[in-house]
Order: sequence, then structure tokens, then C-alpha cells
Amino acid sequence: MRNITITPKSAFPISVEAENISPDKLAPLTLSQIKSLIVWQGNRQRTLSALFVIEGDDAPAKAEELTIRLSGDFSQVKRIAEGMTAGVVLVEGSVGMHAGNNMKGGLLSIAGNADDWLAREMRGGKVVVMGNAGNYLGGGYRGEKCGMRGGEIEVRGSAGAYLGEHLCGGSIRILGDAGDFPGAANQGGTIFIGGSAYLPGAEMSKGTITVKGEAKVLPSFQRLEIVQVDGLAFQKYAGDLVDNGKGELLVGVGSS
Amino acid sequence: MIIRGGIVYDPANGIYGDEMDLFIDKGRMVESAKGEEIDARGLLVMPGGVDAHSHIAGKKVNTGRIMRPDDARLGTQPRTAVCRPSTGYTVPNCYAMGYRYARMGYTTAFEAATPILEARHTHEELEEIPIIDKGALTLFGNNWQVMECVRDKDLSKLAAYVAWGLCSARGYGVKIVNPGGGEAWGFGTNVKGINDAVPNFDVTPAEIIRGLAEANEMLRLPHSIHLHFNNLGKPGNYTTAIETLDMLKDIKPSRMRQVVHVAHMQFSAYGGTSWRDFESKAPVIADYFNCHSHATMDMGQLLFGSATTMTADAPLEYGNARLTHNKWSNHDIELEESSGVVPMAYFRKMLVNAVQWAIGLELALLVKDPWKVLMTTDHPNGSPFVNYPEVITLLMSRPKREAEMATLHDQVPKRTTLGSIEREMDWTDIAIMTRAAPARILGLEDKGHLGPGADGDVSVYDLRPEEVDTSQDHVLVKKSLATAKYTIKGGVVVSKEGQILATPPGRTFWVDAAVPQLEADRLMVDLEEKFARYYSVQMANYAVQDAYLPHGKAILAGLPILSEVA
Repeated sequence: MRNITITPKSAFPISVEAENISPDKLAPLTLSQIKSLIVWQGNRQRTLSALFVIEGDDAPAKAEELTIRLSGDFSQVKRIAEGMTAGVVLVEGSVGMHAGNNMKGGLLSIAGNADDWLAREMRGGKVVVMGNAGNYLGGGYRGEKCGMRGGEIEVRGSAGAYLGEHLCGGSIRILGDAGDFPGAANQGGTIFIGGSAYLPGAEMSKGTITVKGEAKVLPSFQRLEIVQVDGLAFQKYAGDLVDNGKGELLVGVGSS
Repeated sequence: MIIRGGIVYDPANGIYGDEMDLFIDKGRMVESAKGEEIDARGLLVMPGGVDAHSHIAGKKVNTGRIMRPDDARLGTQPRTAVCRPSTGYTVPNCYAMGYRYARMGYTTAFEAATPILEARHTHEELEEIPIIDKGALTLFGNNWQVMECVRDKDLSKLAAYVAWGLCSARGYGVKIVNPGGGEAWGFGTNVKGINDAVPNFDVTPAEIIRGLAEANEMLRLPHSIHLHFNNLGKPGNYTTAIETLDMLKDIKPSRMRQVVHVAHMQFSAYGGTSWRDFESKAPVIADYFNCHSHATMDMGQLLFGSATTMTADAPLEYGNARLTHNKWSNHDIELEESSGVVPMAYFRKMLVNAVQWAIGLELALLVKDPWKVLMTTDHPNGSPFVNYPEVITLLMSRPKREAEMATLHDQVPKRTTLGSIEREMDWTDIAIMTRAAPARILGLEDKGHLGPGADGDVSVYDLRPEEVDTSQDHVLVKKSLATAKYTIKGGVVVSKEGQILATPPGRTFWVDAAVPQLEADRLMVDLEEKFARYYSVQMANYAVQDAYLPHGKAILAGLPILSEVA
């Protein structure tokens, strides 16, 4: 196993685009090669070592044998682990927008919070967030018909609006609350929300959305029977009927 | 500038692959000149490419861009010392349009459909497209004033309106899209054939087309009417195509050119009664073109992959949107047109798409005279224009066609005749279809050829026509056509091996047609009432001002007596 630790040298008043911080990009390189990789800060090109301290094992290895530890505040660093196919990225604090874009494999673990667009268009692998996630978690690129197609996302806290927008596959599990319109235009993925949600599944055509807590349900969903899942009662709905949808929406029936 | 030793194809001047030197001075081809030397020894040299039908500017192109951020991200390139940033694939930004045409060796492209009311927007975008020369055809087929003149059988007033409309739009020619259908769409319906009356107007599509064709010839416009048929894109529509063409065959052209140019013929050569028994009727259409000389066409070739359909044929786009469940933009342009935009993807394994692909190629290969068929993809309806090299290699190589057909739905050979067509085009055919013929069909005298006085637009490709076997080496041919070794525009090397070296602004051609003052005065009475009662703008604010065409180039036309006096 190879370990690399990356630490910001200072706080970034201007955000950094660091799509190079991913196991696939770093694995074949020595530490000195890694230090000279290019990142953008605002409209300026910088080397990785100008902004970050980079330490760890020097010898190149395969991506699946690499663990990248991001130590310190990465909340102003965008596009971390973009397109990663294997290996592990451990973020010890919070992470900026667009982390895990187009991720295809491996593990992205975030101890703090994640900003908007985490795991946009994810294809495979796993993302775990111990804190909260922002808007458009597992969403689609603007204008595309499909967002996330595969893989697994778990958020221990809450998520923002439009989580799993244009979801076409894979599963998203939120233990806290979800914001507005979770699972909008869902076309075949699975979403579980532990807390509450507002207007889930708008324009969904397939897939399943489960809301354990309270949910405001759109009038275009057809109310069906009460079902039992793992010993809990859920009100089942079919929809979204505005789109001739065959999706399934389950909303928890309170103990009251 | 001297271009040394190229193997030159200039069919308009009867040059078919002769080794010769070319000279450019002050932006024009001349008999001899001094200056910079370009080494083209043994290489393929042709006039700069001319695209007579492409959707490159205006409101519907921009609507496509707004609807498709997913498309914008496909072609991003950062700015360089010379170039501004590029984005997009099917709906590129203005800058990318110019760079990509220039890289392929094209130096002229015409926007195919602009309503007068939205012409200002079209010219704002055309002005931002660098390098290439441009023009925009103006839509007349669903215009209230046109339909009223046709109804009243007042041909001279109609001609006066066409001249006024072209001048107001700074347009180049008369475009007609689904005549009557766009107006009917305002009432949620469509016309079903050329003899179907347009709601509220008591005219038929046939009368509109004939009226505009006669007005077009009365005004001696450089281009003929440019026609998008009724029933376009529907199974069985080849009968509408033949019926429409036949109705125009007795009209006398006022110049040495066709009477009607058919836009994207592929979309109107369909047999069958529904998508289930959909089949090619390209042989019937090609036969008609082989037996008649009053009509020309462009292919409107469809290629597999992403496209964005955009047209003034709004009911067609409604159908597309229902068929694909895709995003749909629908637009009503006051007294003039309707329009729509729908993103599209074409698939090899989808029978309908595969047959459409074959129909375009059948049309080009079965029409014997290459002067009658232009190579286009109806960018971006059939495919983006960057894929022209793919179309050209399909026309030049039967092995490539067979290899492609092997990957398609297995019903394709039964529903089309493409498999049995042996013809493989040569460089003369291609030079005609992409250079000489579009220039002649548009009436651009200084384009599409390399004779003295022609524009100094030349493309040099890294291909040796005397050595390369275009049938077998289609991979090499496609690669070389995609990136010209040199593209020379007005005597300036604008692109070398894919790198843009200079971005001079292109000119915008438009037609200023003279009409008798009496007719213009008669027309004004009608127009003043239309603007007072219906239009959302004042007549004084309607016409495109010259400030929008800093590189405009007016071509004079009009009634013969008047132009002689002038």
C-alpha cells in the first residue's frame, strides 16, 4: 500500500480547482512529479506544491493500492477525486464543490461536510460523508438526461435540494433530512431519506424513493396501500403521473 | 501569394486534377503574383468550401445553446493568442463555428432560415463568426403579407414585399419552410399537402410556393427559392416532394441556375405509410432529378450520434418532442413564422435512423449530375458540420459504406438500395458538391472556383490525389479532410494543419433588389396597417440597420428595366 498526505499551506481565499488530486492521476507519479502537477487557482495556474504540502511514499503504485489523505480544510478546493476509478481518498475535514464528479470506482470518504454537486454523474464506487452534503448531491450535469448511473452514496447528516436529480441508477442513503425536490426526474435509482423531505420524486418515471420521516407529497402521486418494510409502516404512492411515471414513493407513517 | 505545384480541382473552370501554380493578390485570384509561397507540391488543392445550408446563427441556434449546456461542454477549448474560447458540438458558440469551418477548408457558410423580425439577432451572431464569409436566407413561407398577396394574385406587390423583406432582414434569398404549415400551427394544426388550404387565408401551400418562385424570378435574385417541403420528416412524404417539384417545372429561371433548391432532401424522400413500414424512396426522387433540370438539392445527410433539430417547421418539432420525450422549444414569430428546437440522438440499431442514413447517401449517389446535389448534413439537424469528412468518405468509398452497413439494423438492405450502389465519387465530384455547385446554386460568382477575379479562398489538403486510393484508404482521407493543411481565406493563411493562425472578419452577403416606386408605395399601405394593428414593434424599428453589418456586402438585383437604368 502507498500513502500520500496532502495538506494546504494556507487558507484559500480564492478557490482551487484540483481535479488532479485523484488516485488515478497520482498513482503512476513519484512525489516530485506530483508536486509539479498543475492546478488552477482562480485564473492562475499553480503547481500543486505551491499550494499544498505533499508527503508520503515516493514509489509509484497502482491506483487501487493508493490512499490519499487530505488533511486540513479543503472546503475551498473543488473537483477532488474527479473521475477516480480505484483507490481511497480520505478527507479529514470538509470538501469543496464537485468532489467525486464522474467517479467510477474506489472510496471517497469525507469526515466533515461536502459542498454542492458531490458525486455528480457518478458511475460506480462509494462515497461516504459523515457531515452534511450540499445541493445536487449525485445530480446530473445541467441539460443531461441522466445524472448518477451507479455506485453508492451515504450521508450521515442532511442533504440539500435536488439530491439525486435525474438519477438513472445506483443508490443514495441520507440519514438526516433532504431539501426540496429529492429524486427529481428519477429514472431508476434508489433513494432512502432517514428524516423529512419536501416534494420528493417530481417527474420520476422509475425507481424507488423512501422517506422515513415526514414528506410533502405532490398531488400528482397516486396514493396506494400501507406497506410494512423492516417492521415499519409506510404509505405507498405511485408516480409521478404527470410523466406517466411508474416510480414508487414510500413515506413513513408516524407512530401517532 | 503563390501556391506551388498543387493538384488542382476547379471544376467550374474545367480543371480536373491538373498540376498548377495558383496566384493570389489583394485577396483575389490572379494570373500571376509575388509574395509568400505555399508549397503544395502533389497535394490536393480546391477552392475554399462553400456550405449553402447550415444553421449557424440566430435565435433558434441560440435557443439550442440555451437548452443544451450538456452539448456546450463537449467541445470546449481554451482561448489562445489568436482564438477566443470554443464550446459545443452540435450547437457551438460563434467563434467555434468560424474556426471549425476554417480547419476543414471551408471559407463560406450560409445560415438557412431567419425570420425578418429576428434578423437583427442573426446578424449579431454572424458578425461574431470569424474568418468565413456568410449570408442568411430569409423566411417568407408563412408570412401574412406574402399569403395575402398570393391570395389576391398580386405578383408585383409580392415581389415588392420580397425585396423589402430581404432589405429589412439584410437577407440573401427566399427561404420557404413548410409553407402554410407554420401559420396553421398557430391554430394547433398543420397542412397535410400542397393543396390543403391554410386556415384563415384561403391560399394553399402550392400557391404560396409558386407565387414566391415567380416573384423570385421577377426580381432576378441570385439564388432561387430555397424550399423545405410540406410533410417533411413523415413516412410517405416523397409524393409531396414530387408533386411540389412538378408544379414548378414550367417556371422560367431569370438567371443561369435552378428554379428551386430543395433543402435537406433526405428528410423528404420517405416511403411507407407509418414508421413500421418506413422505407427509402430515394431512387424515385433521384430519378426525378435525373430527368429534370429545374431543381437542385442538398443531401441533409444524417449521421449516427448527437444532433440538435432546429427548424421553422414547428409542428414537425412538436412531433419530434413527443417521439423522443426530449426537451422541446416552441416559438411563434408574430406574422411571420413558427419554429421549434429539440435535441436528438440517432442510433445505428434503430431501423428508422439507419434507413434515414442510407437515404441521404442514396440520393447523392443516384443523382448522376453532381451539380444538382450539395453535400450537407443540414447542420445540426442531421449531424454537426464537423462531420462532413465522414459524409465525403462515405460517398467516395464503397468498402466504407459496406463496413458501416454491417453495423446497422439488418432490415436496412431490404428497405434501401444503398447496398447495390457501386458508384464511388472522385475528387471532381466532391469539389463540385462542396465548392463549385453550392456557389453556383447560391449565385455567388466569386466563390467556389479559382479563376481570375475569384475570391482568394483556397484549401490545400495533405493528400496526394495521384497516389491515394480513396476507396480503400478512407481512414486517411477522412483524417486529411478534417484538418486542411492550409486554409487560405482572401489571400491570408487562416488555418495551418488545424491551428488557426489568423481570424479576419468575414463578409456578410445580402441582396438589395430594386422594385418600381409605385409597387413599393402600394405595399407600404398594407405594411403600415400590419404594423399598426399586429406587430409588437414599430415599422421604424423593424429593419436591420447597417450598423449590424459592419462587413456587409450588398449584391444588387431587381426588376431588369430598373437595374439597367441604374
